Amino acid sequence: MVDVLQALVQRPNFVVFVILFLWGVYIMAAHPNLVKKLIGLYIVQTSAIFFLVAFSAKDGATVPIIFTDSATVDAAVYANPLPHVLTVTAIVVQVATLGVSLALVSAIYRKFGSLDEDEVLERVE
Amino acid sequence: MSSNLPILLFFVPFVTAVALPILTAKRRSWCAPLAIGAVSLMIVLSIANLRLVMSQGSIEYALGGWAVPLGIAWLDDPLAAVMVLAVSAVSLLSLIYGRAVAAARFDNSMPYYTLVLLLIAGLVGIVFAADLFNVFVFLEVSAISAYALVGAAGGSAAVYAFRYLLLGSLGATLYLLGVGHLYVATGTLNMADLATRIPELITSTAIVAGFIYIFLGLSIKMALIPLHGWLPDAYASAPRAVTPLLASTVTKVALVAWVRIEYSLIAPGVEVGHVPVLVLLEELGVIAALVGGSLALIQTDLKRMFAYGGIGHVGLILIGVSLGNPTGFAGGVFYLVNDAVMQLSLFMIAGAVAHYYGARTLDELRSLRQRSPWLTGALVVVAVGMVGLPPTGGFFGKWNIVLGALEAEHYLAAFAVVASTLLTLAYFVRILTNWFHQPAMPDAAPVELARPVYVSLGIVSVAMIVLGLLSDSIFEFLLRTGGGI
Repeated sequence: MVDVLQALVQRPNFVVFVILFLWGVYIMAAHPNLVKKLIGLYIVQTSAIFFLVAFSAKDGATVPIIFTDSATVDAAVYANPLPHVLTVTAIVVQVATLGVSLALVSAIYRKFGSLDEDEVLERVE
Repeated sequence: MSSNLPILLFFVPFVTAVALPILTAKRRSWCAPLAIGAVSLMIVLSIANLRLVMSQGSIEYALGGWAVPLGIAWLDDPLAAVMVLAVSAVSLLSLIYGRAVAAARFDNSMPYYTLVLLLIAGLVGIVFAADLFNVFVFLEVSAISAYALVGAAGGSAAVYAFRYLLLGSLGATLYLLGVGHLYVATGTLNMADLATRIPELITSTAIVAGFIYIFLGLSIKMALIPLHGWLPDAYASAPRAVTPLLASTVTKVALVAWVRIEYSLIAPGVEVGHVPVLVLLEELGVIAALVGGSLALIQTDLKRMFAYGGIGHVGLILIGVSLGNPTGFAGGVFYLVNDAVMQLSLFMIAGAVAHYYGARTLDELRSLRQRSPWLTGALVVVAVGMVGLPPTGGFFGKWNIVLGALEAEHYLAAFAVVASTLLTLAYFVRILTNWFHQPAMPDAAPVELARPVYVSLGIVSVAMIVLGLLSDSIFEFLLRTGGGI
């Protein structure tokens, strides 16, 4: 028990990630409003991005541009660029998904005049 | 030139997709010829690529000349070469077919052709990518086009497309989390690099969690039971012109991504906490095959029945590739290619029946009295293929999966393949008894199918048999996919 608590306290980033993730999934599953479902999805996606950023954070590191001409490069001085690149790409993907999803939501609203999932499904069937 | 074939295969549909809105702004009638031309060019390139891989073996392609592990790698191996050819051929047929049955507003519609080309580009990317993050990006490129295509009909289709989008994006996020976990544990995203580092770390929590996330994410994308919820409604309500393409490629290519990950990263016989990983995957496949087949049997809507049939077949393929021996692997992958062709045929038939007879359910099929001989022929051929009788490819795929299961002494898997065959037979008997329920009207002329429809139905039916006849050489070729087993 103490071990688990200690592990949690030492990793606040990951606790936040888990909370965000579960929160988003809960909103997606529980809210009948389609736009709120999208917000839930957005929180889930943000939690994944938060996870990528959290593990790549490095104290006292600088941008990964090599300043010296010497052959030996001290890797500890530089931040790892790769997770950040992944993050940027993931955000782009997220934006594209959001665009398509909003288009679909507005198509649904124009057709059914409602954003409530239960009402919409009732009218579909 | 020849060494750049993988990237060319990606750029042909991608560049055409991007250029299409500009080129056709004033000449709407150029849309279809341009798109069909691009996909035909892809077929030529993928045949050249297949010949190249046949003669030289797998080729590792470093994007932009940056060597692995710094750069992004694409792998052009037998699996990729076969899949790319299958994807291009399936796309060409469904584009030609789509023109004939599409609603009037799809005719020369720039968004439709752009989305289809983007979808194809994404699929080609997934097939070639040998880098976990690259797979994520291409999964999303193809998925976003697929959401839009499903929702294109508006109305109830938009509702189901929205549901597909929610689940699909959740799947993609899970996949991304898994990639993050594997990266934290190993420091690389390249599959070949991961393959050398993972065996010693396989019991680490981060790796196991990463694999679970990746598998969950891809399971949503490939509609593995019980994560298949989005598929039947989405396919049943999507426009007739796009369902064949979506059904035959999107889930299958997600499965290809998983096959690649499983095949190169999970060695046969690996156990995590006394759970043999491959056997677990195989059992999931058994569940999917049996439940999918049973659900197909109780459907009354033709498209939904075919959709559940496809879901069951995903299980069969997963069984094949998870057996841990070359026979099962070749059988599974071969069946995957076959299944793409069969799903194309099934949904083309369902679309044509809806288009020409207005029939969607089995009950409506009962009252048909003018049956088109082309549709009857295609339906019988695809029934033979789905049930798995020689000489269609379906038989040889299933036969090898069963042989592989017996070789690995996994009798449950062998039983599941046979049982799912019987379930498939059962639902095709249901379809065919309804199809032939009424005696044909003797003097009425049958409904004339448009030429593109019967030509593409004919080609697909012939392709199923040709795949069966060539099965031996395809097996041998697929087994040259380098890696774990």
